[in-house]
Amino acid sequence: MSTAIIDIEHVVKRYEMGDEEVYALRDVSLTIGSNEYVAIMGPSGSGKSTLMNMLGCLDTPTSGKYLFNGANVAEMNDDDLASIRNKEIGFVFQTFNLLPRATSLKNVELPLVYAGVSAEERTRRAQEALARVQLSDRMGHKPNELSGGQRQRVAIARAIVTAPSIILADEPTGNLDTKTGHDIMNLFRDLWKAGNTVILVTHEEDIAQHARRIIRLRDGRIESDITNHNHA
Amino acid sequence: MLRLSEFQESARIAWDSLRVNLLRSILTTAGIVVGVVLVVLMGWTIGGLNAVWEQTISIIGKDMLYIDKWDWTGGRNWRDVESRKDISLQQAALLKSRMESAEYVIPLARKWGGSVVKGNSSLMCSITGTTADYANTSAATTLAGRFFSPTEEHSADRVVVIGHGVYKSLYPDGNAVGSILKINGSPFRIIGVLQKQGFLFMDFIDNQVFIPMMAFRAVHGFFDRSFSVGLKCGSEAMLDIVRTEAIGHMRAIRNVPPDAPDDFSINEMKAFDQQAKNIRIGIWVVGMGLTILAFVVGSIGIMNIMYVSVTERTKEIGIRKAIGARRGSILAQFLIESALLCMAGALIAFPIAQGIVAGARFLAVDVLEQEWASVISPLIPLDLLGIAVVVSIIVGLLAGFLPALRASRLDPVEALRYEQ
Repeated sequence: MSTAIIDIEHVVKRYEMGDEEVYALRDVSLTIGSNEYVAIMGPSGSGKSTLMNMLGCLDTPTSGKYLFNGANVAEMNDDDLASIRNKEIGFVFQTFNLLPRATSLKNVELPLVYAGVSAEERTRRAQEALARVQLSDRMGHKPNELSGGQRQRVAIARAIVTAPSIILADEPTGNLDTKTGHDIMNLFRDLWKAGNTVILVTHEEDIAQHARRIIRLRDGRIESDITNHNHA
Repeated sequence: MLRLSEFQESARIAWDSLRVNLLRSILTTAGIVVGVVLVVLMGWTIGGLNAVWEQTISIIGKDMLYIDKWDWTGGRNWRDVESRKDISLQQAALLKSRMESAEYVIPLARKWGGSVVKGNSSLMCSITGTTADYANTSAATTLAGRFFSPTEEHSADRVVVIGHGVYKSLYPDGNAVGSILKINGSPFRIIGVLQKQGFLFMDFIDNQVFIPMMAFRAVHGFFDRSFSVGLKCGSEAMLDIVRTEAIGHMRAIRNVPPDAPDDFSINEMKAFDQQAKNIRIGIWVVGMGLTILAFVVGSIGIMNIMYVSVTERTKEIGIRKAIGARRGSILAQFLIESALLCMAGALIAFPIAQGIVAGARFLAVDVLEQEWASVISPLIPLDLLGIAVVVSIIVGLLAGFLPALRASRLDPVEALRYEQ
């Protein structure tokens, strides 16, 4: 473990559902360093989605501290959070979440658009990212012209195009068959080996086994946090 | 600050979404289309009226003053005017001998509600007796033939110059010159036809005939008649000088005590400006009312469809926010879409408005043969198009603001979870 990218201390997330208060996270503390490969596991309702949204700066804690590269996310406004998501976080979703009417290239370029990168530079970097996921021959295709595995690789290219501090993948193989899921996991392993920090959120044990560190959540608390020596 | 790259992206997305929902987009803009058509038509109509009005007063003569017992626009107390003494021909002659600043001093005797008879058909019109000097006014420009000469005037020849309205009514096939008309039983030979002068509410001017003053006395007499005196000033700049001089002479001639008001009126074409202005204001008010109504209805439609668009694209908004779109970027995206939608409405409206304008003009000029309408432009002026585009964009921005604001404030977590 080297320098901490993510440093969470005593984080609580509370929702109000009518008169009832629901605790999605109760006092979670966690540190994730550069070039780690972490899986966050837990049954549904364990708070793992909430934790992922928090780590991804899509949501802010009710109380507690969240330092991202030393900056306190809990105190940021919407636009600051958008800027962090844009530059520091690459999202990969279970349902891919590509824009259906845009080509692979345009989808991958999108984060760079919001980063204010010039058109030429955008295209160059998007092409590079697509090459890294072996999709150079599918740049002009729209999502509905691609297979599930190809779509997820476009999504991964989109996640890495800004060279973010972390890649945050939420059930990345959940909509894929075993073989394709395996290919995608190999891709994450390659990204990790190339120096990226990867955080997986999953409920599948064999997917989690790809990671070097496995954090298990239950009822909004960390149940265990172990180093995985048998990683695939 | 919105970056250029984001702006281009927003414009591209907006364009895409309009294209994908082409029919829906077109239907949505219907209200805006109507609004823009109305704005353009109103502007064109007012512009056309101005042109026609300019034409009318320049033909009748901007440099003419008329001294009358009556006030043309009826601005004064009717009883006061009624009790004024008639202006006699002797007074007119005295004025003519004293006036120095006017180019021509032209006495006129009018018989309102007279009639001319051609064969078996008779036409109500006013009969005006005047001098040959009248030929020097712009109103005496003839379409055919000529005005009567000093010789004809002095010898009280039975010659008549007919106004355009009389000509159109009695000689639909042309060839009026040389024909004989009877005025109060006496035969007069037509020697000239005047060009069209009066447009809009002024077309009664064309419904008159001109005969030498002494011939007028022979057919209608001078008894119990108030004369008018036309003063040709030469230029608009001379109007004030001539008016002042004429008032001085007339007061002296008619023995008006120094502290009494004038017992005559000095009339000029400008008196009708106010009426023309009222017509324009009337059109403007009605047109603006309809336009605002159309834009309000239109913008409600736009707002509605933008809410639909925001809802349909909740997921997309979530994705964009997750990968770094800020509130401003999303706001801009939907505002641009809304503005483009309205601008598309304006672009659809132009050919429609142009078609209506060209059709209206064609109907007036070629079918109804109203040649006065030919001074109206068949094309919509460019500045009107510019105004319409700007207005439609503003309406788009206003109508799109609330939906865009809602989109920009969506919670990314909620938005990402949204499934259609």
